[in-house]
Amino acid sequence: MLKYIILFTVGAGLLACSSVNTISLNSSSSSNSDVLSQGNEGNVIDSIVAPYREDLEAEMDEVIAYAEQAFEKGRPGGSLNNWSADALLQSQIGNARLSGPTFSLLNVGGLRNTINAGDVTLGDIFKVMPFDNEIVWVEMPVESLTDIAEYLIASGGEPIAGARLKNGKLVVDGVTDDTKSIWILTSDYLMNGGDKMNFFQQKISVSHSNELLRDAFIRMAKKQKMLIWSDELRIEI
Amino acid sequence: MERRKFIQNTVLVSGGLILAPSLIAQNASEVKAKNKLTILHTNDTHSNIDPFPENHARYPGKGGVARRYEIIQKIRSEEENVLLLDAGDIFQGTPYFNKFGGILEMKLMTKLGYDVATMGNHDFDGGMDGFVKAQEFADFPFVCSNYEFGNTPIDGHTEDFKIIKKGGVKIGIFGLGVELKGLVPDDKYGETVYLDPIEVANDRAAKLKKKGCDLIICLSHLGYEYGSDKISDRVLAKKTSGIHLIIGGHTHTFLEKPTEELNMNGETVLVNQVGWAGVQLGRIDFEFDTHRFSRKDVLIVQ
Repeated sequence: MLKYIILFTVGAGLLACSSVNTISLNSSSSSNSDVLSQGNEGNVIDSIVAPYREDLEAEMDEVIAYAEQAFEKGRPGGSLNNWSADALLQSQIGNARLSGPTFSLLNVGGLRNTINAGDVTLGDIFKVMPFDNEIVWVEMPVESLTDIAEYLIASGGEPIAGARLKNGKLVVDGVTDDTKSIWILTSDYLMNGGDKMNFFQQKISVSHSNELLRDAFIRMAKKQKMLIWSDELRIEI
Repeated sequence: MERRKFIQNTVLVSGGLILAPSLIAQNASEVKAKNKLTILHTNDTHSNIDPFPENHARYPGKGGVARRYEIIQKIRSEEENVLLLDAGDIFQGTPYFNKFGGILEMKLMTKLGYDVATMGNHDFDGGMDGFVKAQEFADFPFVCSNYEFGNTPIDGHTEDFKIIKKGGVKIGIFGLGVELKGLVPDDKYGETVYLDPIEVANDRAAKLKKKGCDLIICLSHLGYEYGSDKISDRVLAKKTSGIHLIIGGHTHTFLEKPTEELNMNGETVLVNQVGWAGVQLGRIDFEFDTHRFSRKDVLIVQ
């Protein structure tokens, strides 16, 4: 009888304890492999997506411009960095209320896709700039350029237009010895400290453009028709 | 087949107690069963429902939920124990999100049979009400262990951790999110409190082990690695114990295979991530050896 009690105790202990002893990775069957889309139209997923896709296509497939070559983002710079910062600057620069030295500043992280060679659709611009961020004009003391330069050096580069970073200094077009303040065109997201752009805390004043960054991109793409490609190096670190 | 063998062995243990005590001693050294678990995972799918176009500069013709579905279905037909996980940033990146607020993403993930996901910073982009609204269409839980949602609309819509049993193996899964300040506009995450990932990870790993989990997985949206000491999956792996696998996201890092790190106890931790946009599907196959008289539950990479 005692024998059975001891056995029962051991047995119960065994059952309570997990039975797994070692875990081994099967390296031959594990893999990170590409999802290639070929010949899988018409499966159940497509039937779920179809009504949503039709709804979108009507709007998003409109061709608004053409790209002779692909626009890609990069650090310290890239053709998409230049296009987006230029588009932002040019979309606002004609405004009479905007006086004094002005440059545009965006973030690489905020550009979410490439612009591919070929027709550029409305949907393509949505993929580059999916966020509903508003363009703001931020008046900053000229001294803040030192902090901005430091930020750009630390991050490895962000899209800018109307300014250049060289020898550790951010030089803005039109700044003279008498300049006290400058304007930065950016998004409300970045002005509010997004991507840790804490230097915007030094701002003197803010003007709201009431235009979404994406809408400005769309407007400029339509205006350019053939998107202006440039790989000019604006940030030298 | 493997599973049946495992069950037979377990039955033998309990049955042998009464019927044939001598059999136990005999089997103790011999009984050994192998169980296999296939973990499939994605991260940063960013509302990429359709494949990239053929003229895409980086990933022509790659990705797409329909194709991912077919690959997953094929693996499910071949493997008995499959877990499908996502490490966050399901939202934001195509007009599908701008227009429909994430509902379609949730519907599709449910159809694909996701078991668990965690929240990335962009899953806050529609605001917290927006997340809750879309999440109504998700038939799988979100695990968020280091966000306290107490005073927010998300409260009660996520879980601290999830335990899943597959083929005799108990799997514990918890989730870690990235610090939201400076990354997400303040009004989109409101009073969400961010807790230290390392402390939370050690706590949940210990808790899950205590609950008898054989395998502990962390779904992380911290990012793979940074040029600084900033918390990342690689730092997390080294500074914690008890986690076997970290499935990461946020940095859109493409890895050829999982990275091996050693944790605080010198045990192996795997870190994996599969880029973004559903361009790749990650697959990790584990085999579980089941002896009866010792328990080490260490991960061996062959």
